[in-house]
Amino acid sequence: MKASESILVVDDDLDFLKIISRILGRKGYEVETVPSAGKAISRLKERFYNAAILDISLPDAKGTELLPRIIEMHPDIIAIMLTGHSSVQNAVESLNRGAFAYLEKPLDPENLLSVISRGLEKQRLVMENRGLVEELERHNRITNTLLNVSQAVSQSLDLQEIIDAALDKVTQSTGLEANFLYLNENEQLLLKGHHGFSRRIVQAMPKELNKDSGVIGRIFGEAKPEIIEELAKYAGTDLSFLSKGGYLSFAGTPLTILGESIGVLGVATSFAHYFSVNNIELLTGIGREIAIAVRNAQLYEEASSARALRELDSMRTEFLANVSHELRTPLAVIKGSANSLLQPDVIFDEKTQRDFLSSIDKDADTLTRLVDDLLMMSRLEAKALEVRKKSHKLAEVIDSIKDRLDTLTAKHHLHIDIPETAPPVTIDEGRIGEVLTNLVENAVKFSEDNTTISIEAQPNGKEVILCVADEGVGIPAELHHQIFERFFQGDGRKTGRRKGTGLGLAICRGIVEAHGGKIWVESGLLKGTRFSFSLPVD
Amino acid sequence: MDKKHILIVDDDPAILRLLSTNLKARGYEVIAATDGEESLEAVQGNFVDLIILDLMMPKVDGVEVVRRVREWSDVPIIILSARGDENDKVKCLELGADDYLTKPFGIAELMARIKTAFRHRGDPTVSPAQSNFVCDGMEINYAKRRVSVDGKEVTLTPTEYALLQHLAVNSDKVLTHSMLLQSVWGNEYSSEKEYLRVFVGRLRRKLEPDPKNPKYIQTIPGVGYHLAAVA
Repeated sequence: MKASESILVVDDDLDFLKIISRILGRKGYEVETVPSAGKAISRLKERFYNAAILDISLPDAKGTELLPRIIEMHPDIIAIMLTGHSSVQNAVESLNRGAFAYLEKPLDPENLLSVISRGLEKQRLVMENRGLVEELERHNRITNTLLNVSQAVSQSLDLQEIIDAALDKVTQSTGLEANFLYLNENEQLLLKGHHGFSRRIVQAMPKELNKDSGVIGRIFGEAKPEIIEELAKYAGTDLSFLSKGGYLSFAGTPLTILGESIGVLGVATSFAHYFSVNNIELLTGIGREIAIAVRNAQLYEEASSARALRELDSMRTEFLANVSHELRTPLAVIKGSANSLLQPDVIFDEKTQRDFLSSIDKDADTLTRLVDDLLMMSRLEAKALEVRKKSHKLAEVIDSIKDRLDTLTAKHHLHIDIPETAPPVTIDEGRIGEVLTNLVENAVKFSEDNTTISIEAQPNGKEVILCVADEGVGIPAELHHQIFERFFQGDGRKTGRRKGTGLGLAICRGIVEAHGGKIWVESGLLKGTRFSFSLPVD
Repeated sequence: MDKKHILIVDDDPAILRLLSTNLKARGYEVIAATDGEESLEAVQGNFVDLIILDLMMPKVDGVEVVRRVREWSDVPIIILSARGDENDKVKCLELGADDYLTKPFGIAELMARIKTAFRHRGDPTVSPAQSNFVCDGMEINYAKRRVSVDGKEVTLTPTEYALLQHLAVNSDKVLTHSMLLQSVWGNEYSSEKEYLRVFVGRLRRKLEPDPKNPKYIQTIPGVGYHLAAVA
């Protein structure tokens, strides 16, 4: 039932007071009457009245002096002055001092009621407006806070950075030091961030929660915030760390995107009965901002790994297409040559027959090397390369591959410089031999006949540096990193050579790194090339 | 009869040797090139009757060679490829190659396809009864192997012409996919549906005023093709 509006009537004419009381009472107003200014003041100190009707001459004061005091105490009160003789001056003064209206005695009851009604309606509008303005200001404050939070958490796409920034902002915006955040991962709620708790309490916090456990589970499941006004009365174990830490009340809000929960934000304070509908609204808004930022970071991560997977996939497809081509080419020579010899319609002379057989032989070798490279590459990929290390002198390593090197460099000048004083190294002789051979093969491929290819060794403290240098076409600076990547194909090789698989240098790097060394290149266009790699000394 | 000249293009010298030995032993003259640029020079310089072309080559690759040659010549082109990619095959055929072989291949198969390509060029033993064929603006002069649409001459490659002639000579019948493939290409092609689709497409693009709504070469869905005798 709507409360009646209350009216205080101040007049020393007691009969008048009785009549007025009846008239106003019949209209449903709550009426109180006092005969003096002093009594009026003391009533007004105790409670609010919607309206006050004052006689201009009171035993202990002038009505016009009482008026401003009343308005000071209750700024919204509707004050109506009653004047005895028609005195314009009094009327004007009353209005100036804040009266809503003045009326002349003797009163016309209808007039009085109508004035009171208008006055109270105005009062209602003012109070409603004031409420609206306050509400608007409150919303503004919340919106500003949320904007702040949103800006703070969207500075980054890194999930942990976002969470930490968010919890920091929660503290700044709400003044609540202690807060924490759980995120849904693989059907469990995992603790992803906390702020303002001592280390002891952090240790006691459950790192994983079931989606249906306790109040946190409920907040998540129903996507609705919850308040626990007295933690001492709460039985669930998921928040026991709070009570242990001396916190008395808790509020939690779901992190939601389009109504769906992705996690829970919890705050705690050492005051009991701290949380109310008002500050929950702010918290829930913050929860939504955090949810958006977190979702963005998660999507970004998914997209990056999806993109990375797609890149890897297309690299793999490209590589397989390459491999297919490389395998089919020697196969075509082998098949074609054998098939030619078998055709009944043409008999070839002996020399031609030998040529065909020799092609078969050579390309079978090519295929074999290819298969070996592919196997090596798959071992490198799986990081399953076997490396059997023993102590060796570098001169021995060179000796073991000398024949092959001589064959390779038949049309070049091979210069080997390994000082006697070079310390022995702990290596897999076969693998390092492969590296050297590969580097020399490249040198032969990319330099003209009759130029020099040199192999040198230089001790350098705890390691030895081996170099293979040529006087060939060189490698431009921008490619110095790429050449060691798998599948990378250089150009500028001499005509007539088939493309390799682009694995040679990648394999060299894999072997060198498996020995704990590094490999690098120094080169410039037309300035020759120098590959160096380091090996650890015994 | 003059020896036919075959241009072979491959960046692998072993393949070139293999092809060259086999072709020479069977009575063909051989010109060899190791990359796309060299091959284009050779086509312009010499009288070439057929090109055997590898796809993956440095500088100018096989696809580009086909495109450029087809700008001014209808010489038969057989593609050799180590990629074995279905998309590649269709792309090359649509661009104007006549045939496509995947490495590794057998010698007999290669020789048969060379023969087919030459047959499309103009085998004088096959001459239709009438001297020409007319249909609503399109005219085929069998004797001169010339085709024109609305008076304007249209250049067709040998294979394209062979297909069109076959359709025209049999214009009162519906020809099934396999009948066309066998008659125009050969028995071993009876399941190469791609070829038929691509070559009908090429003909339509060259002859039809609106290739998407053909009036000359009609598709009989699920069955084959038919050349309208009267529009």
